[in-house]
Amino acid sequence: MPVNLTRNAIAMMNSGDVNSKPLVQVVDIKLIGNSQERYRFLLSDSESTQHAMLATQLNEQVRTGRVKKGSIIQLIDYICSTVQNRRIIVVLNMETIIPEYEIIGNPKLLMGSEPEANKSMPNNNLFEPSTRSTNNRYSAPAPANKAQSFQPTIQPAYQPPPNYKIQGPIMKNEAPARIIPIAALNPYQGRWAIKARVTAKGDLRRYNNARGDGKVFSFDLLDSDGGEIRVTCFNAVVDRFYNVIEVGKVYLISKGSLKPAQKNFNHLKNEWEIFLESNSTVELCPDEDGSIPRQQFSFRPITEIESAENNSILDVIGIVISVNPSVPILRKNGMETQRRILNLKDVSGKSVELTLWGDFCNKEGQKLQEMVDSGLFPVLAVKAGKVNDFNGKSIGTISSTQLFIDPDCPEAQGLRAWFESGGRNTASISISKEIMPGGSKNEIRKTLTQIKDEGLGRSDKPDWVTAKATVVFIKTDNFCYTACPLMIGDRQCNKKVTQSGNKRWLCDRCNQEFEECDYRYLLQVQIQDHTGLTWVTAFQEAGEEILGCSAKEMYLLKYELQDDTRFGEIIRSRLFHQYLFRLKIKEELYGDEQRVKITVVKVDKVNYSAESRYLLDMVTKNLPNRKQF
Amino acid sequence: MDTSSPAAFVNGGLLRMHVGRKVRTVIQVTRSDAGSVMGKSTDGCQLVVRGSPPAPLTSYVEVIGVAENENSIRAELWTNFGDSFDASNYDQLCQLANGELKHLFL
Repeated sequence: MPVNLTRNAIAMMNSGDVNSKPLVQVVDIKLIGNSQERYRFLLSDSESTQHAMLATQLNEQVRTGRVKKGSIIQLIDYICSTVQNRRIIVVLNMETIIPEYEIIGNPKLLMGSEPEANKSMPNNNLFEPSTRSTNNRYSAPAPANKAQSFQPTIQPAYQPPPNYKIQGPIMKNEAPARIIPIAALNPYQGRWAIKARVTAKGDLRRYNNARGDGKVFSFDLLDSDGGEIRVTCFNAVVDRFYNVIEVGKVYLISKGSLKPAQKNFNHLKNEWEIFLESNSTVELCPDEDGSIPRQQFSFRPITEIESAENNSILDVIGIVISVNPSVPILRKNGMETQRRILNLKDVSGKSVELTLWGDFCNKEGQKLQEMVDSGLFPVLAVKAGKVNDFNGKSIGTISSTQLFIDPDCPEAQGLRAWFESGGRNTASISISKEIMPGGSKNEIRKTLTQIKDEGLGRSDKPDWVTAKATVVFIKTDNFCYTACPLMIGDRQCNKKVTQSGNKRWLCDRCNQEFEECDYRYLLQVQIQDHTGLTWVTAFQEAGEEILGCSAKEMYLLKYELQDDTRFGEIIRSRLFHQYLFRLKIKEELYGDEQRVKITVVKVDKVNYSAESRYLLDMVTKNLPNRKQF
Repeated sequence: MDTSSPAAFVNGGLLRMHVGRKVRTVIQVTRSDAGSVMGKSTDGCQLVVRGSPPAPLTSYVEVIGVAENENSIRAELWTNFGDSFDASNYDQLCQLANGELKHLFL
């Protein structure tokens, strides 16, 4: 199908004509610009060519392939300007007429000062660039040959030589790629190189999937602008680079592919990840580049962790105030691993529990234990710890966590200075304990039927309410359990222990055996108010308040002395007492069904004076007369 | 419950509304003689209660009797209420019992 490009379109546009809406061909497209995606076309009217920048709103057309090299397009809206002594057209609106077409004619680059050349002596008019060019991306031997087969009316009838090459600043550049900041990397970048320090090197992992066996390893990079990115190598590429990469050294890396980062494993602040391939280059830079930091942290004060989201990843730094021994833990998948619990304290006046898993227990954990045992209080920096909200907020290590003992960074020095000049003695509040929201001013009073009617406990956070009710029944089977008396940090373990041998008890969590166990309440109590009744569970402190004696006394009475009479008397004497119950209400999964579980967190005797005031207040608030206003 | 002769909850100021009728109130004892007790009502008025108080008498005592005039009661029943008592709560009760919630009381 013959196509007639607009004759002399390039010359017309260059001389200021913006109204002609010419039909031109896209001879080349090049992506330029580091931070912004900009495309530069080389447009041809079959005789002359001209660079044209594509307005960014049209970028999509290039990306989706609606316009490509060889496309015949009509320029609808465009302007012509001079940039560095060259005329450049900016295309604001265009339409692709034919997406694919052989290069028409013998277009050559039109330079501003050169005379128009629509004559046909190709050898004289070839533009010879000074840079090397080995690429014949734009060679048109094949299309040139085919060009003979159609007869465009405007074209001069000559045969270009078979080895004709369009040359100009549009050819492939073999010069080494410029170093760009990591933050500028993206898949549309074209050639790039980065210079960065390895901040972390992952283990070599072997895997087996449907496609067979493979191996992979990753390492993290940090550059002088603070940009970070993860680099991953598979299979043969692993062999090339695994021994080359060392933590702390600086490398020049180029020719990798950019893909979206896997947020589940990659916690670096970058949406991309580099994958090295067979043509990638990794060069060690032996000169110590002081401009690239060794590590980059963004520490959060412990007090901010209190409001951090569960499972979020963050960095934290603090003084280690306690280290617990390593204990073996059976994980859900049946594998055994080690666990250690430490407590960190910082200037915010709060402390947080840090759980070390696996190797961290034996390496950094062991070192920290020795340091604390010999009276030292080391600074510990945690990079990429995971927030856990099981009991208040605590932090746990994950595979990509890094621990630094007494790091040489300003935050560590600041912490040390604070600690030595008084911070050591200030008490800190742990954020890793279950918090009960609402003091006496924020107490929400509910009746027992309101708990069910209002669907309390069904959202993802538990509901905390106060209810005034009377104890009407106490379950005497299994009113307590055998608990571990050993201390973990400043808390008692309290995990249920099992009998081991004749008279000894074993705790799985502490991995120790002992003679005497503790007895702690696990009371099921039925409470009632004027609206209804409900079952609640009371643990140790609440149980002691309700029964008026310790779980151990009751246990001995029932099971050792076997004095059921006295036991029964005590139970009966505690019924029908009215209390103010602070309740934690949460729906939980029991087997297949969701059940609302109510736990008594605190039991208070009713203060009649205060309670009367509360009731009087409620009465006067709800008087009908008031509403008439 | 014996509802044959109900006593209205009063404080010092409300006593005048029930002269000649059965009333009940709590006073803080200021003086105790044979035959009468002087005390402060929950709204701060001085009241005289005639009769034989129990011995010993605690700081706060409830008296049920007939209102003689706007500041004296002839007691029939005395009850020690102990040494600590929330007077403002009681006072508010008296106001409600004689005002907006009168219909809830005998």
